Amino acid sequence: MRRSDSSLGRGGDAPPFASALWRRTPPIAWLAIALVLIGLMLTAVVGPTAAGQATLNGLVGAGYFALGAVGLTLVYGVLRLVNFAHGDMLTFGTYVTLGVTALGVPFWPSAAVGMIVTALLAILLDRVIWEPMRRARTSTLQLFLVATGLALVLRYSVQFFAGSQVRTVGLDTTSSLNFGPWHLGTLQLDVMLVGLATILLTGAGLRYTRLGKEMRAVADNIALAEVTGIDTRRTIRATWLVAGGLAALAGILYAASIGTINPNFGFTILLSLFAAAVLGGIGNAYGALAGGVVIGLSQEWSTLFFNTRWKPAIGFAILILTLLLMPRGIFGRKKARL
Amino acid sequence: MIRSTLVGVALVASLSIASIPARADPVNLTIGKLLEVTGPLSDTGPSQDKAVKIAVEYANEQATKAGVAIQAKDIGADVQGDPQAALSAARSLIDQGASCLIGPAITPESIAIANGVTIQKRVTIWPVGTSMRLRTIKDEGTIFRTVPPDSLQALALVDAAIDKLGTAEGKVASVVYRNEPYGEGLARDFSAAWQAKGGKIQGPVVFDPAQATFDSEAGQTVANNPDAYIIIDYPDTYAKLGAALVRTGKFDPTKAFVADALAFSTVPNNIPPQAIEGARGTRGGTPTGTDAYKIFDDLWQKAGGVEHYSLDANSFDSATLCFLAAAAAKSSDPGAITDHVRAVTTPGAQKYYLSNLADALKAVDSGQKIDYVGVAGAFEFAANGDPTVSLFDIFEYQQGKLVVLKQIDASK
Repeated sequence: MRRSDSSLGRGGDAPPFASALWRRTPPIAWLAIALVLIGLMLTAVVGPTAAGQATLNGLVGAGYFALGAVGLTLVYGVLRLVNFAHGDMLTFGTYVTLGVTALGVPFWPSAAVGMIVTALLAILLDRVIWEPMRRARTSTLQLFLVATGLALVLRYSVQFFAGSQVRTVGLDTTSSLNFGPWHLGTLQLDVMLVGLATILLTGAGLRYTRLGKEMRAVADNIALAEVTGIDTRRTIRATWLVAGGLAALAGILYAASIGTINPNFGFTILLSLFAAAVLGGIGNAYGALAGGVVIGLSQEWSTLFFNTRWKPAIGFAILILTLLLMPRGIFGRKKARL
Repeated sequence: MIRSTLVGVALVASLSIASIPARADPVNLTIGKLLEVTGPLSDTGPSQDKAVKIAVEYANEQATKAGVAIQAKDIGADVQGDPQAALSAARSLIDQGASCLIGPAITPESIAIANGVTIQKRVTIWPVGTSMRLRTIKDEGTIFRTVPPDSLQALALVDAAIDKLGTAEGKVASVVYRNEPYGEGLARDFSAAWQAKGGKIQGPVVFDPAQATFDSEAGQTVANNPDAYIIIDYPDTYAKLGAALVRTGKFDPTKAFVADALAFSTVPNNIPPQAIEGARGTRGGTPTGTDAYKIFDDLWQKAGGVEHYSLDANSFDSATLCFLAAAAAKSSDPGAITDHVRAVTTPGAQKYYLSNLADALKAVDSGQKIDYVGVAGAFEFAANGDPTVSLFDIFEYQQGKLVVLKQIDASK
């Protein structure tokens, strides 16, 4: 059992109990404690209504970011690829779903079709673009540029076929649940629940299923994984399948809940998705959740004190601050671990 | 003897030929359209396109009728709601020979185009953006607007709110706007005018249009139950902000006042009805009882396609003015057109209307100065190129449709 990277100082400097506590408590616990403390402080300053509503709003944002970031972080973990086209895969999946609903199919079956088609697209792109690049051992920067180009191709293809006008999924974005003085949109709650469930399922899948173990092995050391008999090509394809499907799910839920989208929406949210993934420790599924929560909450809590025009700036300032304190992200380790 | 006679005849013949007044080369004018086809104001694109198209067709007919040798064609490009893309679009239109550019609708785009190419090449642009930020640049007489600027629209909004509430004294107006020049300028001018009349301002709440959730902003807008909400937004973001406002459970759309960017004949289906039904607003007005409007509406209906949309008459007028200026200059050279715009909108000169456009063309062809009165009204441009016309519609959304309640002159 390796000493965790967050260990501080030598055993003799501080009372043994404190340093053992510090060493053994995982970063996620510190994060949870910090968030709860800040939440309590806010409640004391602005009152429970305002603080509670801001927290709820923050968790809604967290839901969007976390769900979108899972696929992103998986791909990086297994393939070391900064998939700049991920946002546009959200867009692609959403538009396919919209196309199917236009044929009269109800929402959830259409979403399933959207997820399957996007997963297949992800595998196709891997076969056609990423696999040759891997064989040629292209550098990270070149892969990044290719991903950027792919993002543009996807976005403008969607725009070419679907038109650039804004579209709506058509679900009722105004229905909301009221708990006392607080309110939460029904669709927003759905996104949060599905997001949480998806991340927990993904995390559990990575830990307990055979495919999950293979993905973690490939993420750790692809050569070793090959040597032990793991079919790395199959594992990589499975990663893309999952990432593509999750991207489509994230896109369609985001679109349904926010009400209005255009072909740029995936790209617009991509920066926040990267922030959530990096903050959580890129390569870690639970990290996507943690990162999403931190970014969502910090943005909405900031509106209690600062003008809302500063919201994005403050969110990203907190990102920088957190990375200064925990450079590899909340769950980060020296090597990316799923 | 015969030879000298022949020479004499030849001389007389050539002198007579030389003295026939030279027939001017026909002017072939290209009018460029800077359209918001994609981007946040993409709802305006089709109607702006149609407005310029029918203006050009009508002007061509009238020119032929008047026997004036000028014909125009229109070409368009998408500005994509982005200043850089708008600048490329403007460049491509100018390369294709456009002598004036009608549009765009967003002020940062207009500024980018002016600074990037049109001031230098002396090409007139006729934006439909209403922000006063446009007038912070030295355009050297190349930017004209046929739409009343926001400094006047803010006053119209104040009038609209007072009309509903009875008075501004002691009333709280909660202001929320999109973080960019249009919203900022209107909000600032509204706040100043409202407070000058004894009102109070809550906010302003400023939001970034690209973010994922608007619930905090909506919460702050409806907090403390204000008497009115002043919402300055574009259609695509209002679909999201409006839903967030309704979700707060405290939003009453009949207390909302919107500006011209949220004026549509029929509310689009992505904006929840509970976010806008009964809301009032202002937009640049067009007198609808005039002969000019009847002709314009007639042309509009005959052309089929999209319905009327805000500021369509204004772009129709811009295209007509460009045509008239080119006829006055007898040239399609952009600089010459720039120099002649005021010659066709001279206060005090003989007035001409859409109904006698042929006569107007004859008059300018013979070198006279005229005062052309457009469908949207007389322009009589101020020194900075903005119109001194200030007619505004106050409208209300009833059953999802825009109904004009009254027209006011905001400068009073």
